[in-house]
Amino acid sequence: MSGDERNGRTEGNGAKPQPPPIEVALGSNPFVDALAGEVDPLDAWLVALDRLAAGAENVVPARPVATPPRTTATTRAAKPLPIAEPQAPETEVEGVEPQGALARLVVGEEANQKLAALLGRIDGWDRFGLSRAGLSQAFPYFYALYKLYFRVQSQDHDKIPTEGPIVLAANHGGLLPFDGAMAVLDVLLNTDPPRLPRAIVERWAGTLPFVNVFYARVGQVVGTHENFSRLLGDGEAVLVFPEGVEGIRKPITQRYRLQRFHVGFVEHALRERAPIVPMAILGSDDQAPILFDVKPLARLLGLPTAPITPTFPWFGPLGLLPYPVRYRIVYGEPLRFHERFDPEAAHDPGLVRALANQVRRAIQALIDEHRR
Amino acid sequence: MKSVLVTHADLPLGRRIVKVLWHDPSVSRILALGEGAIPRAFNAYRSGVTPRLVYERIDLARQRSVSDLFRSKRMRVLGVDSVVYVPRHGAAPEGPPVVAKIPARTAEARLVLHHALESRSIRSLVAIGSAFVYKLAPGNANQLTERSELDLDPELAPEMRSWIDSDMLFNAEFASARLRVLLLRVPTIVASGGFIYLHPGLEGAAGMRVRPAGFDPLCSVISDKDVARAVRAALQADITGVFNVAGREVVPLSVLGRWTRRPCLPVPGPLLALASSTVARFGGERLRGRFDGAYLRYGMSLDTRRAAEAFGFTPRYRVGVARAGDGVLRVEAVAI
Repeated sequence: MSGDERNGRTEGNGAKPQPPPIEVALGSNPFVDALAGEVDPLDAWLVALDRLAAGAENVVPARPVATPPRTTATTRAAKPLPIAEPQAPETEVEGVEPQGALARLVVGEEANQKLAALLGRIDGWDRFGLSRAGLSQAFPYFYALYKLYFRVQSQDHDKIPTEGPIVLAANHGGLLPFDGAMAVLDVLLNTDPPRLPRAIVERWAGTLPFVNVFYARVGQVVGTHENFSRLLGDGEAVLVFPEGVEGIRKPITQRYRLQRFHVGFVEHALRERAPIVPMAILGSDDQAPILFDVKPLARLLGLPTAPITPTFPWFGPLGLLPYPVRYRIVYGEPLRFHERFDPEAAHDPGLVRALANQVRRAIQALIDEHRR
Repeated sequence: MKSVLVTHADLPLGRRIVKVLWHDPSVSRILALGEGAIPRAFNAYRSGVTPRLVYERIDLARQRSVSDLFRSKRMRVLGVDSVVYVPRHGAAPEGPPVVAKIPARTAEARLVLHHALESRSIRSLVAIGSAFVYKLAPGNANQLTERSELDLDPELAPEMRSWIDSDMLFNAEFASARLRVLLLRVPTIVASGGFIYLHPGLEGAAGMRVRPAGFDPLCSVISDKDVARAVRAALQADITGVFNVAGREVVPLSVLGRWTRRPCLPVPGPLLALASSTVARFGGERLRGRFDGAYLRYGMSLDTRRAAEAFGFTPRYRVGVARAGDGVLRVEAVAI
């Protein structure tokens, strides 16, 4: 029973005293101290990877884990939960900056500050599964890919609106979605205050064990209408690949030729009054050129594609790794359809298709211009 | 002034709702129903010559007992005009078997609704339903609104089936001119001390649970105190329909299991499917959902904007774990 109830008062009658601070009431702040002691399975994998990267003896654990002292059943039952004196948390606040050997080696001061600013806005898990700990643990690995492996060059990122809902629409390619990861990182590193685009992924990805957890913890969201609408409603930046799976399974003869677009992103942009920023990602179609797509085999295995590349399946799973191509990411002028059309226009399929084609042409023009 | 009937008031959530209503000046009388003996917490509320709280033992799954109650002199004297339907929950959520294999929860919902509709004095019914009635799409978390699709798969485990049947029963009466029906779909309810209700996998006694390896769905949670506040706000509102009610927090299943002393052991999915079919074959139909329910793979968070607009509900309590004086982490709900 709350103190108000004991005193015969109810909320809203104006007589309610201010509640004591959380630390005083509970002995410690549950939302800092306790969450710092929780270990997400994803964190455990990433910590293990970190240890592998640097040798176990050299690595400070990425996040000290608070293990509650063991108590016997009798002590647990006998003690009536005395309120302890406020005390400093046993563990430091997690995820303020990426830690571990790889982070120390590759992540620069500026990137650290960007990440810290972003993490400061995340508390525990958000409603789509983005985890403060997951993001800070995964960041060094993707940053290493961004800087050292794909050597991403970014251009015209001043065209990304710094606030409000936006839809970033990009071309898709390269078998494994490293283009999505690089695009997310590029936006994060080149916006101030840093924005984390929430990439919309296929429902199929949500059914994959381990992958679905990883995607959610680093901020990617399965593409349902409710999710899309809510993200834009919250003022988030949403990254979409309107080609969908067709983009990543197109053969080498089609590279950098945009496939037919899905149109849902235009509907949501109109409804939620969000500009659409076209993005061209150059390099993704060269990272794993598909020679053939054995569609009957893909259907048999229930996979979106069964590709033959110069390295896959000849080198086994290693053949799926992308080649170390250089990425270039170019942003186009935002397309503000919502300023020309009412939200009801989202119900007009002909108009929505025409607007989607306009976005497609804008991205294709960016690709053609910067590939030369 | 309202006179309110609360079902399952002997169970934790019912007790919490009775307490909140007892402190509500707009509620004049409370008729608390329960299967067990009167909770000791109610003793303080029953003082005086005409106590505001009356407690009655009843088996809500039996037609005769419910019928007798709704036609009793006591109901007329108390002038009950509102009903809060709290579903069966807690240590034995399935309840005793009822004729024709109808789950107790469904039978209770049907009987309470039927008699509330027939009663001349009852004007509103606020029912607590489960958010696990939604069809969960692939993905670690999905934002669900009241318009999201329900899981009407006939092969669902009986426990899930009973939630959906109850939900549909209340849905069918939204257009009733006699009775204002308001259904609150709530996610997993957590209460201080590590208690958890309405989660099909974690509800019940503390102990080990299983989940498919590689999946760790997000669970939307709400404090039992916020549920009680939502019920009180819904009683005051002159509206009908279904509303999502949830707290601010979403927590991965593995973490929620640890917080509530029900750790979830990751087991390969095919093994769980085998265990599920084996259990079903040997008559453990009720346990089937514990091994292969969609909620073990795919998570949800609830869009609660409709409830906020309709009757002003916003969560006031944050759910987290706190280390108490004895050093053990326990779930706590803290007022924001």
